[in-house]
Amino acid sequence: MSDLSSRRRLPWPVVTAILLILGSPVLTAAILTIEAKLIWATDESKSPDANHTPVDPVTADRLRKTFKWKNYFIVKKMTKEVPSRGSARFDLSKKCTVEIKELEGPRVEVVLIGEGKPVHRAVKPLNKGESFVYSGDDKNETAWFVMITDLEQK
Amino acid sequence: MNGDLMLKVQAWVDGELPGEEARQVEALVSGNKEAAALVSELRLTRGFLQGNETALKVPDSPEFYWSKIRREIERLDASGQSVPAPSSALWAALRRFMVPASGLALVMIVAALSFKYFSPATFEDQMVEVENLSEEMSSISYRSQADNMFVVYLYAKEQTKAEDESQFDPLDDLLFQ
Repeated sequence: MSDLSSRRRLPWPVVTAILLILGSPVLTAAILTIEAKLIWATDESKSPDANHTPVDPVTADRLRKTFKWKNYFIVKKMTKEVPSRGSARFDLSKKCTVEIKELEGPRVEVVLIGEGKPVHRAVKPLNKGESFVYSGDDKNETAWFVMITDLEQK
Repeated sequence: MNGDLMLKVQAWVDGELPGEEARQVEALVSGNKEAAALVSELRLTRGFLQGNETALKVPDSPEFYWSKIRREIERLDASGQSVPAPSSALWAALRRFMVPASGLALVMIVAALSFKYFSPATFEDQMVEVENLSEEMSSISYRSQADNMFVVYLYAKEQTKAEDESQFDPLDDLLFQ
């Protein structure tokens, strides 16, 4: 009967609305889960600071392949969500802060702030698994790194 | 007790067994504790159902009630008229538009997802914009493809000057504490 067949039809306006609602985040932007690590590099086997912990073996291997130092220690590690078209601030030490902003693309703007003053700015796509690293020399043939990694895109 | 015997006991409780079989089950129930327990449970359940089942009564007699439904169906079939549905011209036009629109939306979502996750990275995608914001610092940027790492090495401009003059001093810890 026509009544029954009309009941069986899909409610297309509702289907369209659902598809558009589900699709809109894909077409717009992403929330990023960013991990920022302040790392100190040295050839010494131990850090003089008891609070420093060795970086995980995978990260240490990656860093050793690119940099000359033998050992890498985490000074501070932070994980934060960077909202779509928003920004998040990572205070890694009293002197070192990183501000990350999610941009269209998706790309990220990374601003390194030293002692309250902007030092460097970079805008780039941050792909999953890729790390963005700031580095610099420190006292006694050691070095510091700020390692930024996109853990997950939502 | 197996399943068949349990069903037989149930049929006996409902008075559905013929004489000889009923007598056999009656003998079984009187001599078997498990069967007796099943019988008492079945009778209890039946008692609950009989006492609590809501009786719905149609105001007309059953024959008249069903004949009314049959007559109405016959009348609608004869007139070719269907039950009024919300299928007005506007609704039908909207539905005709929504079917392709839904398909198009689905295709766009799939395309967007494919583009986002499967398209090869273009040169523009990988372009990096870097800017030194401090007059005291310089930087060198490079990408380590093998380690999936983009590195910005920062150094004080004084360092270059000092190196040039062969008077190297360790860098002050501008950023690192």
